Amino acid sequence: MTTAPRIDTDAVRPVEPGPAPAAPPTASRLKPESFTAGIKAVVGLVGLFAIWELAVFIFDFPKYLLVGPISAFEELFTNPGYFAVNALTTLQEGLAGFALGTALGVLCGALLYYASFLRPFLYPALIAIDTIPKVALAPLFIVWFGFGFESKAFVAMAIAFFPLVINTFDGLNSVPHELQDLARINRASKLKKMMKIDFIYALPSIFTGAKISISLAVGGAVVGEFIAGSKGLGYVILLANSQVDLPSMFAAFIVLAAIALLLFFIIDLISKKLLPWKNYTK
Amino acid sequence: MTTDYAISVNNVGKTYTSRDGQENVVLKGLDFHVNPGEFVSIVGQSGSGKTTLLNTISGLQEASEGEILIRGREISAALKDIGMVFQSPVLLPWRNNLDNVLLPLEFRDAVTSESKDHAMELLQMVGLGEKATRYSYELSGGMQQRVAICRALVSRPEILLMDEPFGALDAMTRDSMNFEIQRIWRRTGCSVLFVTHSISEAVWLADRVVVVGDRPGRIVADVKVDIERPRAKEHKFSENFASYVAEIESHIGVTAGIS
Ligand SMILES: Nc1ncnc2c1ncn2[C@@H]1O[C@H](COP(=O)(O)OP(=O)(O)OP(=O)(O)O)[C@@H](O)[C@H]1O
Ligand SMILES: [Mg+2]
Repeated sequence: MTTAPRIDTDAVRPVEPGPAPAAPPTASRLKPESFTAGIKAVVGLVGLFAIWELAVFIFDFPKYLLVGPISAFEELFTNPGYFAVNALTTLQEGLAGFALGTALGVLCGALLYYASFLRPFLYPALIAIDTIPKVALAPLFIVWFGFGFESKAFVAMAIAFFPLVINTFDGLNSVPHELQDLARINRASKLKKMMKIDFIYALPSIFTGAKISISLAVGGAVVGEFIAGSKGLGYVILLANSQVDLPSMFAAFIVLAAIALLLFFIIDLISKKLLPWKNYTK
Repeated sequence: MTTDYAISVNNVGKTYTSRDGQENVVLKGLDFHVNPGEFVSIVGQSGSGKTTLLNTISGLQEASEGEILIRGREISAALKDIGMVFQSPVLLPWRNNLDNVLLPLEFRDAVTSESKDHAMELLQMVGLGEKATRYSYELSGGMQQRVAICRALVSRPEILLMDEPFGALDAMTRDSMNFEIQRIWRRTGCSVLFVTHSISEAVWLADRVVVVGDRPGRIVADVKVDIERPRAKEHKFSENFASYVAEIESHIGVTAGIS
């Protein structure tokens, strides 16, 4: 969809946006389906770990190349504090970047839609900015914002921003022309039309963008930590790398994936709560 | 004198200019009037400019030539007198039916407890009083269109513009909607401009059928339908009715979109 560069922290991307395992469903009649879906998701996850462990066992990989989930979890549970503290750092950076990126992205998407006279100028410029790999911007942000929290949050923001611009614009752009006509015939003010029709209409699309952005934002924070970090999961991975400590590295991957997955499902849950009509239409 | 008309379309033309500067004359020299409380059907081939005509009357588009007067006044001053029904109901899925009906009044900052009662009465009039707090996904297509009609009527417009409102409905639902609209029109007393592809629907509903010809869109016939009211299903099988249909068909030429 967007040309956002693929970051090498693939582990943070939730593979399938399936229904939330334990999410309390909005409509009671959805309950059994989402319950079995949850069970299936858990089975799939356990299966993945089993195959991984089995592969490591069968092919007998040396410990400096690949370790199984069991040693990764072992590492995780022997040093839970270490991972928790660093996960919290990455989570905070990612969330701050996501919040900022979402606010800015929605604003830009709305500007792109409403200020149609600006569109010919704005759109190519945005695309141009988007073609820059955000990872490449990370060193610049460190020059600008220092080695601390801010620079990572800004890398996360830069990456999270774009899906929201596009999806906000698309959402607003898909408002049926009949509704536009209805607003005009009834002399609706621009603000009224925005609040009563446009934004609510665009919300599902905005949430789609947010679901893409949230894992990108966590990835962005990790990239920032790779470049200049003294804490966070990116730093944990780098440190493990220098010490050839693969259990620690894989433990960090698992925590990252868990964070991204959790955030994804939280957004999914909010969108289901906020947009109950989406459960029925289409 | 013109003030006696609900709608006056005076020598109206509409030309679209495409990006490469090509001119597309869609309407030319349209001249007709709608009396207060009159029901006028508009038929014509696809692309002849019927929607464009309605849009210029509602003020959504500007005419390139001529003028349109709503009760003797410029459109810009008369917008509030117009209600519009589209081919698809386009209800807001996050609002219940009553709130969907109230939307135009919210746009105008005119929601009062009295207007809420009125919206409720409208829903009752179309037989959906019990569905007021239900959502559009719980309704059939015909029911949704009835809600859309209530939405068009909630501001008590004197003019109702309908653009193929029943085009997406099956034949049976369409028949019952025709009865419905006749009843609504008689009760509200508003003037109706009703665009349709079905000639029999046009004749059955209307006091007059205006035939719009193709390229450029112009009026090729204005047929007064003298069938007593209220009309019943039997009227569709009368000789009188058949001759009206035949006459209008001959004006449209070819066998365009007969349902
Ligand atoms: N915004 C526009 N720009 C340029 N041309 C247009 C525009 N809207 C309509 N037209 C042209 O005007 C002509 C008439 O269109 P219009 O939609 O009014 O026809 P119609 O009679 O309503 O057709 P239908 O019965 O299929 O709904 C068509 O040839 C169409 O291509
Ligand atoms: Mg049309």
